[in-house]
Amino acid sequence: MQVGLKIWRYDAKTGDKALREYEFDAPEEATLLDCLDIVKDRHDGSLAYRKSCRMMICGSCGMRMNGAAVLACKVRMYDIANAGQVPVISAMGNLPVIKDLVVDMDPFWAKFKAMKPYLQPGYDQPEDGREHVISQERMNVIHKESLCINCGCCVSECNSWDADPEFLGPQALAKGMRFVGDPRDAAKVERLDAYSGQHGIWECTRCYFCNERCPKGVDPRDAIAKLGAEAMKEGIDNDMGAKHANWFVTSAKTTGWLRETELVPKTQGVVSSIKEMKFAMGLVKHGKVPPPFPPHVAEGVKESRALYDLVKEQGRDGALGIVQGERALSRLEHTHGDGHASRDQADVTPGEEPTRRGGE
Amino acid sequence: MDAKHDVLVIGAGCAGMRAAIEAHDAGADVAIVSKLHPTRSHSGAAEGGINAALGNAAEDSPETHAFDTVKGSDYLGDQDSIEIFTREAPGDIYQLEQWGCVFSRGEDGRLAQRPFGAAGSPRTVYAADITGHVLIQVLYEQLVKRDIQVYEEFFAWQLVVHEDRCQGVIAWDLLHGGLTAVGGKTVVLATGGVGRLYRATTNAYACTGDGMSMALRAGLPLKDIEFMQFHPTTMYPSGILITEGCRGEGGILRNSEGERFMERYAPTAKDLASRDVVSRSEQTEIDEGRGVNGSVLLDLTHLGAERILTRLPGSRELAMVYAGVDPIQEPIPVRPGAHYHMGGVETDTDGLTELTGLYAAGEVACVSVHGANRLGGNSLMETITFGRRAGRAAAEWALANTTVEVPESATRDAERELSELLGRSKGERPWKIRDELGQTMLENFGVFRREEQMQAQIGIIESLRERYPTVVVEDKGDVFNSDLTQAIELGYLLDVAACMLQAGIARKESRGAHSRPHDYPTRDDENFMKHSITRWVDGAPELSYKDVRFTKYLPEERKY
Repeated sequence: MQVGLKIWRYDAKTGDKALREYEFDAPEEATLLDCLDIVKDRHDGSLAYRKSCRMMICGSCGMRMNGAAVLACKVRMYDIANAGQVPVISAMGNLPVIKDLVVDMDPFWAKFKAMKPYLQPGYDQPEDGREHVISQERMNVIHKESLCINCGCCVSECNSWDADPEFLGPQALAKGMRFVGDPRDAAKVERLDAYSGQHGIWECTRCYFCNERCPKGVDPRDAIAKLGAEAMKEGIDNDMGAKHANWFVTSAKTTGWLRETELVPKTQGVVSSIKEMKFAMGLVKHGKVPPPFPPHVAEGVKESRALYDLVKEQGRDGALGIVQGERALSRLEHTHGDGHASRDQADVTPGEEPTRRGGE
Repeated sequence: MDAKHDVLVIGAGCAGMRAAIEAHDAGADVAIVSKLHPTRSHSGAAEGGINAALGNAAEDSPETHAFDTVKGSDYLGDQDSIEIFTREAPGDIYQLEQWGCVFSRGEDGRLAQRPFGAAGSPRTVYAADITGHVLIQVLYEQLVKRDIQVYEEFFAWQLVVHEDRCQGVIAWDLLHGGLTAVGGKTVVLATGGVGRLYRATTNAYACTGDGMSMALRAGLPLKDIEFMQFHPTTMYPSGILITEGCRGEGGILRNSEGERFMERYAPTAKDLASRDVVSRSEQTEIDEGRGVNGSVLLDLTHLGAERILTRLPGSRELAMVYAGVDPIQEPIPVRPGAHYHMGGVETDTDGLTELTGLYAAGEVACVSVHGANRLGGNSLMETITFGRRAGRAAAEWALANTTVEVPESATRDAERELSELLGRSKGERPWKIRDELGQTMLENFGVFRREEQMQAQIGIIESLRERYPTVVVEDKGDVFNSDLTQAIELGYLLDVAACMLQAGIARKESRGAHSRPHDYPTRDDENFMKHSITRWVDGAPELSYKDVRFTKYLPEERKY
């Protein structure tokens, strides 16, 4: 098949940058990585990119195709080439480009190392010198996080990293959750404390690009949410992000609705809120602020409180309570009036047409 | 000399990292030189598991493990190595678990163990189908914990042999360019295998026999280098591995006529017969004209969508991406592909080679636990147990000896060779030689070995070796010049290929992975129960033999 690629070439020494177009013949089963090999072998030996396993496990060949991070070895070119598309290939985002498609991974690994990414077992070692005895179910908590191959696709797409290059980022935080969720690790609280700092858990903007782009299904955003929930469960909630989240809970529990007027002081503190007075007065003037007294209590507040109690009772106030996206409903357990529990089926299964409810 | 260390490890896969950790814990200043970031190493691609007689799933013992390994090796494995291996494996597994390795668990919360081919007991510890990946991760974590220095993306090129000792390595800095001479009182080779010699291989692009060739060039011998294991289900044409689990779930191999041909070759075990048996059966079908495009078909369609989606989602994804086939609808084209090299740099049970100061562990080495045929799950275990032993021995020697010296001349010679290679502007691009080598090795020195084909292949390798000095590196730059390193890798491949052929044609018997059904169909213990030892002498491989070390396991016919 005929394949066309536009590749952003870059020379860090001279700063020269050029979008070069290549056209060549490739076998039908070729991946993007195979196509880059053809370009390098037969057209331009100076093209630089990383590669090794070519089977989605080593994490070397992260790059961008049409502006979105991919593993080059995971992209089958057949449909793209047959549709006559000529995709633009460029280096990953958020990391300095060294040459062509090769980025400097040092900032990436620096964040990884900042997580203290190794088990801290404490004194609770197996007495017989053998393995820890832990159920598979308990280990499943960190199943997704342990799939990570450190390819950097999530970091490439991370909007918070873009805004603050010191943000620990999705990959490092997912690695952090891999230890926080591990029952063999004795440093959970210290970790949560460290990860809750200025450039940590709460700096994530929840754009979900990391989940979207991860080639291995790690779902780093979910890991970050789990870290947040675990931190709050441990009472580590000094960060504004944590306070913000806490107020949602308090507000819903007490009056059954979100009291936005109080949200700013509860999140930012009183001093900082005073600075926002002018803005607040403007809101009052335009009738955007409900009178604070007497506080309005929502009709269904009991349900809201019951939900709060249920979460506590089921021990779902930490990582276990984090249910995200399309699989959320399948993981929620409900207790019925007659005492038996059941799980809802997922509304949406990945790759399948969703069934519609109601109305039909 | 640009830097020096007590222990210098080359390669950062399971064996290299385990060696570095052990050397560090023994008190040595240790550094790793690796052409890939450690987590990119090919150990990470191992799927199935790692063998140790823990006895968690059924009664088991190191003796049973040793017996299975000796028998699997077709009695070419050194039995003292094997006994050390099986005895120390359980402790190494517990160590990995205590470091935090995310292994799968059984009902009782202990490490789960699954049955594997030719094993007398379910003794394969695993983590779903990503065992290598979790091992690489935990070892890298421990490396970070110890703050062990890694020369990341430094391409090891030449061993420094000075005063009859190995004292370091000269490496090319991939990211910044330039040669760096790193001294080491001891050096541990852990560079992995050489699957890239074959057009069909499960191995990564990085598996180019760097350590084997560097050792050869330093005058060291390769042991049992003719033994390359072929995995029966690698996808056509990429060679990417489809796990044995597919057949475990009920997948069936068929020829072009739709026949379940394994019923003829192995009436009892059928599609689940041992790897070498299935590979040979497939190759016979292909050779006799009942293949499809040089492959046979792995049929899963009868399993149904649900079973495939729940039990084999990874394999389905691989088939869809790399063969363009959805196994729910169509069979997957598979053929035998080069998978694992039993042979390698000869070492003793502490990883020591015959050169003072040089150690080797993992696939690059031949401590001879696999003999003529490796059992699934034994190679990951070997990297850990013998990586540890080599790291310990290398550290002890380094700590007892004080000097390290890399002579100026070593760097100067390397500089000259490099500028010659980079200075060449007319000649052949390396890929042509690489592709011809891969295709002809598969055809002439694959699953079956015929005298006349081996003769032909020796000629082909000679002619490719003649063409090699004219290869042109197009990239003349310093920054990430993979064009240069790939050209050097091709030289490594050609060295090892020549040795394999020399040892292979001389072994006039069929044993383990070395199969000559047309002229020597059976094992010949009288003449060939011995290790081949291949050295590079005056520009060509030179062959000799060494006895197999026995303890208590006497040879018998290998039947399953």
